[in-house]
Amino acid sequence: MQGFPGGTPDPQQLQATMVAIEQACSLIQLHMNPSEAEKVISSLHLSLMPYQSCRFILETSQMPNARFQAAGAIGDAAVREWGILTDENKRSLIIYSLNYVMEHASSPEGYVQSKVSAVAARLLKRGWVEFSDQEKAAIFSEVEQSVRGIHGPNRQYAAINFLETLVSEFSPSTASAMGLPKEFHEQCECSLEVHFLKDFYCWAQSAVFNTADKILNSNVTIPEERACSAALRLMFQILSWNFKHMVEHESSDAKINSGLRMDTINLKKFERSLVKPGSMWREILISSGHTTWVLNFYTTLRQKYSYDTLWGDSPIAVSCRQLIVQLCSLAGSVFPNDNGDAQIKHLMMILSAVILWIEPSDAIAASIRNGGSESEFIDGCHALLSMASLTTCSLFDNLLKSIRHYGTINLLSALTSEAVKSVLVNQSEEETWGVDSLDILLETWNVILGDVDADKSPISVDGALAASNLFKIIVESHLKAAADSAFEDTDDTEYFHVSVSKRDEQLALYALIARAAADTTIPFLAQLFSERFARLNQRNGESDPTQTLEELYWLLLVTSHVLTDSGEGETLLIPEALQAGFSNVIEAAQHPVVTISWSIINFSRQCLDPGIRAKYFSPRLMEAVIWFLARWVATYLVPLDVSRGQVNRGEIDCTGTNGSQHSRKLLNSFAWENNQGELVLDFVVLISMLSLTTYQGEIELQTLTCQKLLATVVRRKHTCTYLVQLDSWRDLTRAFASGRSLLSLSGRLQRSLAETLACAASCIKDPEVSAQYLRDLMGPVAGCLVENANRSDIKSVAQQADVTYMVCCLLERLRGAARAAQPRTQKILFEMGRTVMNPLLTLLEVYKNQSTVVYMILKFVVDFVDGQAVFLDAKETSDLVSFCLRLLQIYSSHNIGKVMLSLSSSLRNESQAEKYKDLRALLRLLTNICSKDLVGFLSDCDGEGSPDIAEVIYVGLDIVTPLISLDLLKYPKLSRDYFLLMSHLLEVYPEKVAHLNREAFARIIGSLDFGLRNQDSDVVERCLAAVNALASYHFKERFGGRGGLNLQLMESEGSNSKVQESISSHFLRLLLQILLFEDFRLELAGHAADALLPLLFCEQELYQRLVHELLEKQQNPIVKSRLATAFHNLTSSNNLSSSLDRPNRQRFRKNILSFLVDVSSFMQIK
Amino acid sequence: MSDEEHHFESKADAGASKTYPQQAGTIRKNGHIVIKGRPCKVVEVSTSKTGKHGHAKCHFVAIDIFTGKKLEDIVPSSHNCDVPHVNRTDYQLIDISEDGFVSLLTENGDTKDDLRLPTDETLLKQLKDGFSEGKDLILSVMSAMGEEQICGLKDIGKN
Repeated sequence: MQGFPGGTPDPQQLQATMVAIEQACSLIQLHMNPSEAEKVISSLHLSLMPYQSCRFILETSQMPNARFQAAGAIGDAAVREWGILTDENKRSLIIYSLNYVMEHASSPEGYVQSKVSAVAARLLKRGWVEFSDQEKAAIFSEVEQSVRGIHGPNRQYAAINFLETLVSEFSPSTASAMGLPKEFHEQCECSLEVHFLKDFYCWAQSAVFNTADKILNSNVTIPEERACSAALRLMFQILSWNFKHMVEHESSDAKINSGLRMDTINLKKFERSLVKPGSMWREILISSGHTTWVLNFYTTLRQKYSYDTLWGDSPIAVSCRQLIVQLCSLAGSVFPNDNGDAQIKHLMMILSAVILWIEPSDAIAASIRNGGSESEFIDGCHALLSMASLTTCSLFDNLLKSIRHYGTINLLSALTSEAVKSVLVNQSEEETWGVDSLDILLETWNVILGDVDADKSPISVDGALAASNLFKIIVESHLKAAADSAFEDTDDTEYFHVSVSKRDEQLALYALIARAAADTTIPFLAQLFSERFARLNQRNGESDPTQTLEELYWLLLVTSHVLTDSGEGETLLIPEALQAGFSNVIEAAQHPVVTISWSIINFSRQCLDPGIRAKYFSPRLMEAVIWFLARWVATYLVPLDVSRGQVNRGEIDCTGTNGSQHSRKLLNSFAWENNQGELVLDFVVLISMLSLTTYQGEIELQTLTCQKLLATVVRRKHTCTYLVQLDSWRDLTRAFASGRSLLSLSGRLQRSLAETLACAASCIKDPEVSAQYLRDLMGPVAGCLVENANRSDIKSVAQQADVTYMVCCLLERLRGAARAAQPRTQKILFEMGRTVMNPLLTLLEVYKNQSTVVYMILKFVVDFVDGQAVFLDAKETSDLVSFCLRLLQIYSSHNIGKVMLSLSSSLRNESQAEKYKDLRALLRLLTNICSKDLVGFLSDCDGEGSPDIAEVIYVGLDIVTPLISLDLLKYPKLSRDYFLLMSHLLEVYPEKVAHLNREAFARIIGSLDFGLRNQDSDVVERCLAAVNALASYHFKERFGGRGGLNLQLMESEGSNSKVQESISSHFLRLLLQILLFEDFRLELAGHAADALLPLLFCEQELYQRLVHELLEKQQNPIVKSRLATAFHNLTSSNNLSSSLDRPNRQRFRKNILSFLVDVSSFMQIK
Repeated sequence: MSDEEHHFESKADAGASKTYPQQAGTIRKNGHIVIKGRPCKVVEVSTSKTGKHGHAKCHFVAIDIFTGKKLEDIVPSSHNCDVPHVNRTDYQLIDISEDGFVSLLTENGDTKDDLRLPTDETLLKQLKDGFSEGKDLILSVMSAMGEEQICGLKDIGKN
């Protein structure tokens, strides 16, 4: 072939290469010595100009794997050597690959063909920008003919397949790497979209047209079917393209009036998106009746194969359905500007075809349960979700009404109840269609009901009825499942929390359905509750209540979701659907939300009675009660000002609808009436105390109590101010401060309880009272620690398990309180911290071998510094900082050079992990101290005697660094923290480096050397920033006639021996080495440029010498001259001047990017 | 404010007891526990309930701190478990005797000669090499429930 690269081949050598590759491939298949075999194969990929050998293998080898590898090698080598191939070479490689695919179209080894196709696509993209339009047109005209079927079905298939790989190569998310910047990929993407994509679609369309008749008329499987399904797949793929270059602005007002909208978020969950190709596609997709044709084609095929239950999973059916679902997601200016008529017609048309897949839902579900294919059902659900995303609730409902006497929501309701039933019935089986379709269907409900504000039209009466019926089915199925599973053991493994959050997500979606018909569903729930309460009360101790308890558990969960939103971290509002509904309710006592709330709370109150509690308040039921209370209190104990605001807003929103406004007001105020609010809060404290003291060892319950219920009531100012006045609250704090009962909580709970209790101090208005409250709360804790640390016999008793346990408890409590530092409480807490400083050092000494205690001490100090640093004055800062330094020194003296051994490898790993956690805590501590300096900097109130934070950190870092081994730096979080801190120091205080002693300096430079070669690009980025800071400082100092960092010399490996050199030359050498010879990531080029520029300025002479050496080493004259040009352009193009200002840095960034793109094509050949 | 109740109850001479009861629910990963009469370090804790509405129980996976063997136990989380007193003491190494014992210097100047050399190869090698190079070595000795073992070493002399 003309222009094929690689010179005239030597037949013997070709043969030898082929044999070697074939051998390697068969070794890999047999799993014998795979690393050796991989080396042989990768040597082919990396060798210079391997094209002739690859071609030989492709054409002669009998082994498909060898052909596969050869194809891959062509791709890799050509992308790498692109810079030294001639235009002729490039073209001929692409044409060769394409021809190969066409000629071997009927070969049975599809994967080889796909690989060669992919190589052709990749190379075509690589040359996309340089090739002229004629060249591309020539290549594509060949492809087009094949796609249209002129050369028979096999070639047709091959050509379609090629276009498929081409489209995926051009779409950025699936593109293969080429060592080129992002801009290149974007350019290609845009060009393909604007100039080719539509043509490809037309070709594929004509391929489908041409083959359709044959397929419909034939009774056996014919090769055309394969081509046809490939064409459909290609069309689907093209419609999945992320169109962005031809999107025009559309007039949206008209569409909104017609009930159309766009909701992209919910499709993303299922990895799909709306299709907005723009008006250029109108003719081909809409006006030409294309959609109708595809729908008819599928329906006809479906009828033809109605005898075959598995036809739904055949390739042609799958790809055709995918295309239909994608057509369903069409949106935007592809439709004419006719108030949305065309789009609505389009959706109705699709729905009328899709409905055959999903209706009658019960019969279809039954057939799937009997082994039928579920694909149509699931795709039908996807289509519904797409439609819902594009329409308002009422339009969605109306879509079906032209062909049925009921709306789409009815259909959705029927489908969902089938899915729910199948999920709950087949829980143990492996079939997942129920779960999958339920996910999609619930999301569809979420789309039509979720965003109430965007859609003022409420759900229709029919729709509400459908929702209500569905919710009843959901509740009944779940109650049955709950009763059936009541005796199973629960297993709180690591999946537990995952499954809880998944369950909550599902319940929240059920709740949306319930709220759509709140006037019937809430009374329904209330009735279910009262039935079960009665059942418990009637019981005479004979029958086992477990099933009823589990039913109540589930009812409590779902009711919480219906009545409240989860709103993590937000101020919760009463759900709008509940506020807007119930317009006919006049008195609070008749409001279903009010009655169900009080009925649940009154039931819960019974747990205070020990007899009843023992009978049926199991730990699990208590969990649900606590959880319900937390959400209810956060939602319904509305702050008075907010509740008034709500009502006012309600007035504006619905002027005239007096009823609705009345019920709104009622919902926002009922909880506080008649002192009910205070009573509920009192109950909250009592039930918390109960679960913390009488439910010993129930960690899940106690965690909910501390972290959910108590945290919720304390975090809200308006509830907290009531809380702190309650007697029960005083009892709780007293029990915590001086009783024993709460000492049996686990450490983590001690901490969060202490934090919550200390937080409450901010809600006490009188500052004196607030301070006294804190002193009463934490004084005994700190005092106890101090007293015991000062005991004379502490050394001998300390190791006893009970003493260790007590110390841990106290430390956890102190840490919790330290985290509660707020402006109003900070002073007291600092005093508390100051009193324990020395005792902590004593304990650190005593417990040096008890890693858990050491870790707790460190964590306390970390949190303490974090909470306090910003508030402290000079004297206090100095105390704190010197304490921290002593802590670091003691820790270091215990741990440096220590080797811990253990017989068990898992214990050894544990001790490694403990070290890692300690060090992270220490780094965190230093980082927290750093933050003090930032604040001090701002307020600029540094008085006399305030310590130099920068120096402190350097000293601290110097203590910590020797403890960090290379092994430990493999932990990504630790290494990130470490390099973040170090680069921060070097960037902010480069001048301090000049004063470091030699060892400390060497350690910092050593760390940077290590970091620059790290795998983690964040770390490399930080290190480059640090080098930049050092070099820039050095350059500026020298420019100003000062010494800079000249005094700090580095020992480094010179060309022949160890040499002393300045850090700038050290890093210059290192950076050039990394940029030129190592696998450098292009996304870091900008940072590398920033670091390199000042280095070049500092070390002009060395740079020239290094460049010279590099050029001398090159033997290949082409490479040599290109390298020389590249180096020349690096420093002289773009008017680079010798300053470090921003524009100059930008220019250098551009230079280095083109330098790297240019050079990497030939420098990394091994 | 009375804080009497927080006082440590242990006395220096109360060391007679080798274990201390602690509620199972409060024992965390990395803590110690006695399983089948052996002092162990907990490497995994999970909780579950006996029937959905029963009480919580803790499932411990732990490793014998002396033999390295893996042991497991299930305890209702409100019940008490035995927690061993685990002590680590540092001694300076004076001598290694021919018959595989080490001679150690205690804090109050006595010698302690009843400990065998560790069986662990790496530790043994480091110990012997360090000793023959004349380094100042500190040995960490772990003791619990009447057993003792060398578990770590540290070089304190810079030279």
